[in-house]
Amino acid sequence: MTSRRSERAALPLPEGPDLGLVLGGLDMVVLKRELDDTFLLLTEPTAWFGEMLGTVRAAGARVSLRGASDYLDYFLFDAAEFWLRGAPGRVRSGPWLEAESGGERHALEAQALLSKNESFLILEHLGEAYDAQVRVLQSARDHLLKEEALEQEVLRRTQSIRLREEEIAMRLLAAAAARDGETGSHVRRIGLYAAAIGEALGWKTSRIADLRVAAPMHDVGKIGIPDAILRKPGALTEAEFRIMQDHTVIGARMLGNSDIPLLCMAREIALSHHEKWDGRGYPQHLVGEQIPIAARIVAIVDVYDAMVHRRVYKPPIPEPEVLASMERGAGRDFDPALFDVFLGILPTIRAIRDSYLDEAV
Amino acid sequence: MIQLKLCMVGAFAVGKSSLVQRYVQSIFSEKYHTTVGVKIDKKDVALGAAKVRLMIWDLAGEDCFSALRPTFMRGAAGYLLVADGTRAHTLDAALDLSRQIEAAQGPLPFALVLNKEDLLDEWQIVTPHIDALERRGVRLFRCSAKSGAGVQAMFEHFALGSLKGRAS
Repeated sequence: MTSRRSERAALPLPEGPDLGLVLGGLDMVVLKRELDDTFLLLTEPTAWFGEMLGTVRAAGARVSLRGASDYLDYFLFDAAEFWLRGAPGRVRSGPWLEAESGGERHALEAQALLSKNESFLILEHLGEAYDAQVRVLQSARDHLLKEEALEQEVLRRTQSIRLREEEIAMRLLAAAAARDGETGSHVRRIGLYAAAIGEALGWKTSRIADLRVAAPMHDVGKIGIPDAILRKPGALTEAEFRIMQDHTVIGARMLGNSDIPLLCMAREIALSHHEKWDGRGYPQHLVGEQIPIAARIVAIVDVYDAMVHRRVYKPPIPEPEVLASMERGAGRDFDPALFDVFLGILPTIRAIRDSYLDEAV
Repeated sequence: MIQLKLCMVGAFAVGKSSLVQRYVQSIFSEKYHTTVGVKIDKKDVALGAAKVRLMIWDLAGEDCFSALRPTFMRGAAGYLLVADGTRAHTLDAALDLSRQIEAAQGPLPFALVLNKEDLLDEWQIVTPHIDALERRGVRLFRCSAKSGAGVQAMFEHFALGSLKGRAS
């Protein structure tokens, strides 16, 4: 886009001949408003203004601007309001690109101003100033686009690393859980159920991702429980049960002493997933919101999943019975508000359950 | 001839100017050229029995450097809210612009245009999100300024809808 500075004679203006000379040197036209759409041309017309009007006029001519330019029509509405208000100052149209019949476009800007109760309109060819503004913005936006692309690449690679880590964790956890008769699908489901609740709670994506991996680690401490107790077919004695309860503390010890948020969350879950809302749980007998929220979530989904699936010691229980039983436990065993959230996303919970069926043992 | 003013609105670099260029001039440039200010293109079309001049206002992309003037919508039959399917945040920006326009100008017909369908493998705007918008009654077009797929249909279906809306 190029600026066309035409050689124009200056119109003697009321303020003196020098002003007309100055205006003539600028790539603009100045008009004084007479009637609604009729203006008195105060400066010699530029080539682009002549093109816009379709006829060549000289300074001193009366011109109608209506229909000369679609954008100017739009701006004259704002300008008319401004002139009517009679307030001092000016209103600008912002730049627009006016098409010429040859296909070239001129960057123009209009200003309406009021001086000594007279209404003026200035049309200016922005020329180089516009080109410079475009270059600056083009460069800034190109830079933003490059940054966006880099961020996307980092995100893509981070997700890929996280998926790999998740897969390794799930395989190791499934192997550890197999000792206890649990399946790999159970391990995955617990993470997905818990993540679905985190999502329903509006958690950040990274926190949900941590919960999805940390929740399946809740029973990792069972690795430290002797086979004779862990795999005992019958009921545990009181002494055996106390040893069994230690899996929470063992798990917390295994996952402790880390600054990694995922492992900190996993430690909380391992330690507190057997706490009860009313304080009857173990190992610390925490009450209500003293129990970390991630552990409260896992307490709900672990019980649900264990009840609706077959175990070596029991057949699957129909879901309505499971939910009725858990309902009775809300406010006693479970956080009642979280249990409501769980009920609110039951369709999602069921979809996860149906997608990860227990593999045949 | 009936004149219909349509405005192109959206974040920067979503392809507003490219869509207009593809529709009006049947050309496409790979290079991104930022728009500063307003550019108006015209196209005469037959919509059903009506001869219509589409006045397409291509407005500068919204970002931290330039903000939309909702008054640009004055006299418009509607606006096309453009997002880039490969950049999820451009959908949020588009929906935010729609809220700004509605707050300033009242309800105005609009359609959401998801551009860059030729890069479907790279899309970040996912189907459940799109379905949710459609369930909310948002009119939606998928198209590609690069290949031209869906571009003419998008402009003309939206214009026809606006025309019918005006007549009723």
